[in-house]
Amino acid sequence: MTSIKKIITISIFCFIGSALFSQNDMLNLLDSIGEKKTHNKTIATFKGSKIINAQTIEPVKKRTMDFNITHRFGNIGEASNGGGHTLYGLDNVADVRIGFDFGITDNITLGVGRSSQNELIDGFVKYRFLSQTTDNHIPFSIALYSDMSYNPQTSSQFYRGAIETSKRTELQRVSYATQLIIARKFGWRFSMELIPSYQHRNFVVGVINPDNGAEETNGIFSMGVGGRIKITQRFSIIGDYFYSFSNYRNNNSENPFFAPLALGFEIDTGGHIFHLMFTNSAGIIENNYIPHTTDDWLKGGFKFGFNISRVFNLGSKKRR
Amino acid sequence: MGKKAAVVFVIVMAITHLIKAQIYIANACEITFFSPTSIEDIAAKNTVTKPLLNVQTGDFQMKIPMISFIFDKPLMQEHFNENFVETEKFPYCFFKGKINEKIDVTKDGQYEVTSTGVLTIHGIDKERTITGTLTIKNAEITLSSKFNILFADHNIKIPALYSGIFPSDTEVKFTATLLPYKKN
Repeated sequence: MTSIKKIITISIFCFIGSALFSQNDMLNLLDSIGEKKTHNKTIATFKGSKIINAQTIEPVKKRTMDFNITHRFGNIGEASNGGGHTLYGLDNVADVRIGFDFGITDNITLGVGRSSQNELIDGFVKYRFLSQTTDNHIPFSIALYSDMSYNPQTSSQFYRGAIETSKRTELQRVSYATQLIIARKFGWRFSMELIPSYQHRNFVVGVINPDNGAEETNGIFSMGVGGRIKITQRFSIIGDYFYSFSNYRNNNSENPFFAPLALGFEIDTGGHIFHLMFTNSAGIIENNYIPHTTDDWLKGGFKFGFNISRVFNLGSKKRR
Repeated sequence: MGKKAAVVFVIVMAITHLIKAQIYIANACEITFFSPTSIEDIAAKNTVTKPLLNVQTGDFQMKIPMISFIFDKPLMQEHFNENFVETEKFPYCFFKGKINEKIDVTKDGQYEVTSTGVLTIHGIDKERTITGTLTIKNAEITLSSKFNILFADHNIKIPALYSGIFPSDTEVKFTATLLPYKKN
């Protein structure tokens, strides 16, 4: 008796249940049939290929070219050759770089550029080999960035300060910077990245820090950090900073060195990305601003600058 | 033991029978939208959506992953997701409605139908009645429709810089082939 009742009640429940199920939200069915779970890649951790000085995790997309102009005016503060007589640095140009970045695949970018400071010609490769996913299956994106630069200045300029009799080769004019870029997008508003870096300059003048006796080295390890806070969909606050692990650069009273720190705004108009910023670094490429920043924010040694980036589509072939 | 088995049997029969008989699921579906502008056309295609149709009640629902709209221009795709529909905040767009006409899967033919329901894009609900055609052939149902979506209806903001260049709506085309849902 009881078991028959049970069967009846259970099957009634069952019919009611499945009837409700089919009427209310059929979409639950999509979950129950175990749709193939896809780990979608996080998009737009950063907008352009640079934060300010630092490279972002973002490669240029496949079959597109990013044309970018980077400009740094002179120092703003009077104590650092700025002040009213140079219209707060706007009369001077610390560095200008014109660059072209090409998206080879969605994860590999090749770029070339030329800077006015030291006449540096550089070429780089950026390879994003790990992409963060929206479901946190992969919590970070990681890219390898490697830049090589060549200094074509005249010998008297390039070997300034070096001993006359030292051996001179063409290869001495080459410098390398290699970085690992580890980035995470924490929701739509905030993205951040850490940039452990190593760079090697084939030629350095063998100077010594008089305060601690440390000699200038060809290789320098440094750690960069950069981030973006979005205020609206198209307007953000951006910043980056590099600390160099170099004893020569530590409290050097004769050739003072300061860690490059840049702060600014990012405006995305859809086609162009504009950065308006203040930074104490003069150089634009890694081989230049990481080892050679000698201006002090506290003494007005910061410059106004801008980056403009415009992406062009190459070829009209359908993607994928 | 025998009674238990009977209970299980009844349950299984009830569930599978009901679902099998009523629900159709898409085995192919294509959703596109198109807006011409003076500079470039804005167009994208989504082929991964699986609409569901209950032929007994007329319930028609779908859940569209926004990230799966593929554009010709990769930067346009990024802007679509990042700046316009805000895919991270609203990863899916939904339509939950009913096909108002009675569906008889045993009668082959082409029928004009309307579907009334709620369209949710960018987290904003909008009650819509959408017209389309329903074709039945050998127990296979093909649905197709063409309708417009006003960006303002779903709070999708067009930057002031583009007002005048950018259209205020987009034309959506939808086709799906549905087959009876079978439990794996």
